[in-house]
Amino acid sequence: MRPYHLIPAVPALALAVMPFLPFVNTDGLWFGLPRMLVWGAAWCVMCTPALLLTERQMARETAESTEIADTTDTTTIAAGGTDK
Amino acid sequence: MTTILIMTFTGIVLIGVLGFAGRRKPAADLSEWAVGGRNFGAVSMWFLQAGEVFTTFTFLGMAGLAFSGGVAALYALPYVPIGYMVLFFLAKRLWSLGKERGYLTQGDYLEDRYDSKLLGTVAAVLGVVFVLPYLQLQITGLGLIVQLVTGNSSSGTLSMIIGSVLVAAFVLWAGLHGVAMTSYFKDVVMLLVLGVLLVAIPSHFAGGVSAMFHRIDELHPEMLTIHAGPADQVWFTTSMLVSAIGVGLMCLPHAWPAVMSARDPKVLRRNYTWMPLYELCLLMPIIVGFAAILVLKPGSSANGILLTLSKQVLPAWATGLVVIAAIATAMVPAAGILIGISSLVARNIARVQGERTQFWINHGTVVAACGLSLLLAIFRPDLLANLLLLTYSGTVQLAPAVALGFLARRPVGKVPVLAGLFVGELAVIWLTFWNKDLAGNVNVGLIGLAANLIVLTLAAPAERLLARRTTPAPDKQVAVTA
Repeated sequence: MRPYHLIPAVPALALAVMPFLPFVNTDGLWFGLPRMLVWGAAWCVMCTPALLLTERQMARETAESTEIADTTDTTTIAAGGTDK
Repeated sequence: MTTILIMTFTGIVLIGVLGFAGRRKPAADLSEWAVGGRNFGAVSMWFLQAGEVFTTFTFLGMAGLAFSGGVAALYALPYVPIGYMVLFFLAKRLWSLGKERGYLTQGDYLEDRYDSKLLGTVAAVLGVVFVLPYLQLQITGLGLIVQLVTGNSSSGTLSMIIGSVLVAAFVLWAGLHGVAMTSYFKDVVMLLVLGVLLVAIPSHFAGGVSAMFHRIDELHPEMLTIHAGPADQVWFTTSMLVSAIGVGLMCLPHAWPAVMSARDPKVLRRNYTWMPLYELCLLMPIIVGFAAILVLKPGSSANGILLTLSKQVLPAWATGLVVIAAIATAMVPAAGILIGISSLVARNIARVQGERTQFWINHGTVVAACGLSLLLAIFRPDLLANLLLLTYSGTVQLAPAVALGFLARRPVGKVPVLAGLFVGELAVIWLTFWNKDLAGNVNVGLIGLAANLIVLTLAAPAERLLARRTTPAPDKQVAVTA
């Protein structure tokens, strides 16, 4: 489990608890639309940036691990390591 | 009326022709037919996956649900994005396993991961039993659409026959390529029609979307909240959760061919990232359904309200377009379901030797499943209605097996998984048909899943203990090997 796994949990949780939030599950409108509808739509939209951010973090981690592996290989070869 | 009727049958034939255009010559083997040679790019994948989400239920059912239950209809909005967020993380593993091990179906995956033909067959049988009513629903929906706009039941029956024959024919010819080709058309025409309806219907009856909701807020404020009753908070949350698990863990068997057809896992991840935005289109029929609260009497037939309002607002040719879009939302998912069912039968149930025989069994199943669904839709439309209640709650019982199968080192064997599956299904069937009040508003699929997990958790250590007792000691093993 990495911290970036938790990023999409935020919109998922906001969507799941939607009917239990008293300021969302009530009559009255936001921007001329039912509050539940606005809340649901807004957090659906947020799913995409959350996943894009997660993907970026995952790519960065992969790049870092590749870089470390490359550095280790170079050091080993330079020191006349196991290849010989 | 004649204009609508002509457009209706032209639409059915057009979808059939587009399906045939998906391939120039028929596929040579089952892999090419069912998963398109695993070579589908981002655009095809997008429409294939959207094709599974936007069905007759979405197009007509969501408007009906908003009309009868108000914002309770919004339970259908979050489950696909939540499910896709789970699939975003699983996509690479799922695709890699599928490619390396040659999976075409859910049964293939379970059979291989648990090294159990029995589990593969059981999963396939459950998949066919629970999804066949869903196929029939699409065909019945097609007939209902035509009957509603023409007011003529024989037109409805004729449309079911022509639609089913064309779907079976283009699926046999083009396989998943045919489904992809018709999906492009379906989504374009559906979005166009929903966009027009979103503007036209609230404007006509209430002076716009905002004005419409202000009137509902004054006259029917209860429609803007989830409140006590059959569609309360418990129903909303548990139904959403079961559906999200079903989507996120690929419990519906017809979801597998589309995912297995992707060119690479990046395509899948990209689609799972952007698909939640597309899911917002679901709000369009829901908003149209709200308009019906102000216009139609309570208790009016909920499934037909989108078409009823369209007829009142739009000219005949435009209503014809709405009907074509509605027909597409029935025929295209039906084609995808047929591929899911037939490949399960050919790969995991029939178990014949030889690729050619398997291919012909697959094609025979397409004809048989489509024919059976058509006959039931015409003569006994209610026969499978009860089974339809089990489509999601029944298939979601495969979630533990699918989820644990992703792990590199499987923590349980086939016996605990099968035992959990058996108890979960039993609980769901019992609560759905015999003791309906016991679950209250909790989705029975979730109760079944709890029973399933308890049995699995208890059976897993028992299985390990038994295996340890029956396995000979290492020195004896060496002796035996030697």
